[in-house]
Amino acid sequence: MSRPTLQSIVSRGLRAFDGVAAPATADAHCDIPCGIYDPHLMQIAALTVLRMNQLIDGLGDDAAKTKANLGRYLLVKEEHAELAKREARVIWGDYFKPEHLEKHKDLHQVTWDIMKLGGKNKQEINTQAAQDLLAATQRFAEIFWDTKGVATKKQPSNQAVGGEIVVPA
Amino acid sequence: MTLARPAARTIFAVVGAAALVSFFRSGRVSRWMPVARYAVDGPSMEPAYRAGDRIVVNRLAYLRCRPAAGDVVVLRDPERAGHFLVKRVAFDVSQEEAAVYVLGDNAGASRDSRAFGPVPVHLVVGKAWFRY
Repeated sequence: MSRPTLQSIVSRGLRAFDGVAAPATADAHCDIPCGIYDPHLMQIAALTVLRMNQLIDGLGDDAAKTKANLGRYLLVKEEHAELAKREARVIWGDYFKPEHLEKHKDLHQVTWDIMKLGGKNKQEINTQAAQDLLAATQRFAEIFWDTKGVATKKQPSNQAVGGEIVVPA
Repeated sequence: MTLARPAARTIFAVVGAAALVSFFRSGRVSRWMPVARYAVDGPSMEPAYRAGDRIVVNRLAYLRCRPAAGDVVVLRDPERAGHFLVKRVAFDVSQEEAAVYVLGDNAGASRDSRAFGPVPVHLVVGKAWFRY
C-alpha cells in the first residue's frame, strides 16, 4: 500500500467532517430556477390524444372530407402525444429528487409508461392506448402533488372528450 | 486522580468536537471562519469542477486585493437570497464600481453575469482554495 499523501489525509478528514456537518451548496446550474412545474399540461395533452382517437373513429363516409380531417387529427394526435412525453421528462428530470422516489417507488415506472404509451399513441390509432396514457399522466400528477404535500382529487375534464383529470383538492 | 483522567479526557474530546462542529455549522457561513466548505452542484463549472466536488474557500483572499480575472470564486446568488454560486471571474468591471463579471467555465450551461450582470464585490464569499 502506498503511503497516504497529505492531500489524501486532508481530503479524508474534510469528507468525514462533511458527514457530521454538511457543507453549503454552491450552485453551478444552468436553469433559471423558476421552480414552476405543473402536471396539468401533460394531462391535457393526453386528453387531446384521446379526443383525436374519438374524432378519427367518428369520421363519416365523405371520402374527401375524411381524408383532409384524418390528416389533421393524426397530426394533432402525434403532437400531443409528444407533448405529454416532454412534460413528463422535464418534471421527472428537473423536479423530482431522490427522497420523492423513496416515497413513490413507482415514479420511474410511471414516467417510463408515459414514454412508451406516448410512442404507442403516435404510432397507432388506439383508443385504449390513449386511455392508458391518460391514466399514467393522472398517476404522475398524483405523485407530483403528493411530494408537495397537496391532496388531489379526480374531477371530470368538462370537455367534449370526457375523461377525468387529477387536480389539487 | 489517576482514575478520573480518562474520563476527563473523554469529556474534553466531546466538548472539543462539539465546539468544532459548531464552528462549521452545516450549510451556513459563520462570519468569523477564515475558510468555508462548499459542495458543487450542477455542470456550469465543468470540467474544472463537477457536481459533487467539495471545495474549501478562502474567505480572507480578498481582504487586501480585488478578485482577479481567472479566479474561481464562491459568491452569493444575486438573484436568490441564501443561495451560493461557484463561478470564474472574467474581468474586474471597474475600480469605482467594485464589481466583477463572472462566468461559468461551461458557458452553454451556466447562469452567470450574462444573465444577472456584474456582481458587487461584497457578494463574493471568497476564493476557491482547493478541492477535496
